[in-house]
Amino acid sequence: MSNHSSDLFYESGLAPHLGAEPGDWLALLKPRVVSLVVFTGAIGLIIAPGHINPLMGAIAIFCIALGAGAAGAINMWYDRDIDAVMRRTTTRPIPAGKIHAGGALAFGIVLAVISVLLLAMATNLCAALVLAFSIFYYAVIYTVWLKRRTPQNIVIGGGAGAFPAVIGWAAVTGQVGLLPVLLFLIVFFWTPPHFWSLALYASTDYEKAGVPMLPVVKGARHTRWNVFVYTLILFPLALSPWILGLTGWIYGITALILGAVFVYYGWAVLRDSQDAAGVSLNKDQPAKKSFKFSILYLFLLFAACAVDHVVRAHL
Amino acid sequence: MKLVQPHWDEAQKAEFLRRRRARNYLLLAALAGFSLMIYLITLVKLHGAGVGL
Repeated sequence: MSNHSSDLFYESGLAPHLGAEPGDWLALLKPRVVSLVVFTGAIGLIIAPGHINPLMGAIAIFCIALGAGAAGAINMWYDRDIDAVMRRTTTRPIPAGKIHAGGALAFGIVLAVISVLLLAMATNLCAALVLAFSIFYYAVIYTVWLKRRTPQNIVIGGGAGAFPAVIGWAAVTGQVGLLPVLLFLIVFFWTPPHFWSLALYASTDYEKAGVPMLPVVKGARHTRWNVFVYTLILFPLALSPWILGLTGWIYGITALILGAVFVYYGWAVLRDSQDAAGVSLNKDQPAKKSFKFSILYLFLLFAACAVDHVVRAHL
Repeated sequence: MKLVQPHWDEAQKAEFLRRRRARNYLLLAALAGFSLMIYLITLVKLHGAGVGL
């Protein structure tokens, strides 16, 4: 073996790793989360009044995805200790030893800066500032500040996933309107029943990692009530764009049906067969169904919003 | 921390070099993509500002 400087590693006590595959860097960006962010960002772009050059629109969506991925990489850097403990996350690139923690942090920061600058160049300062704040919100307010401190982490952290529609809208209009704010609130109030449905049957992982998720701190019964109550709050909130005349009947009817089904799933989670502590005797089937439906709910609701806008624009 | 040389066999060494090459190509592609985007944004903005191209 040659004694070339690139063959040398700083002694860390660990066996030098062979290096990361490109796919490992991609995994740092949390592609599944990014796909949802791209979708909601694109909806914000479509429903906004006005016109944007298609190329600039595509770059705006790319920047939203890049920013979300950057926040995901910073999140993985900070959470590397608990990721190594939780079964669901042990294969992530940092705990798996494929990417050095410092490298992941640098990767996240560089991508965050590039995404914000590029968005400012392609669209406007307003969209770029909202993107910058959304990265800060997820990476610092949620990941560093709230996640390990309060069982309400998910409630406030839900805001992070709610920004893309606002960014998409701002990219076209240069400002923030009422409709994207309502969409923001919908995602904000959708997040708790979505994540707590998951946490009901994955709480041992969070408990092991010391993350104060609601089922760990307050118990399953309390969590079931919260899932149900949040679906109740979400129901009128999702209807509000229609009630306020910001969307048409396609969105309204969709929101009505989806909201009713989500409330039903929330009710099923609450009424699941359970022991005295609220632990499911039914392998958490209602919670699993509620979690799966919540993803479909958001997808269909936002898709209906875009379809509604396109149909109304052509009538 | 001091620099150390890893004790790899030939196969590991080859795999390390392959991965490093893949990473470098990826980085090159990312930089080229970034430059292309800046170029395209400039073209669109100049066109929007009425500068003939």
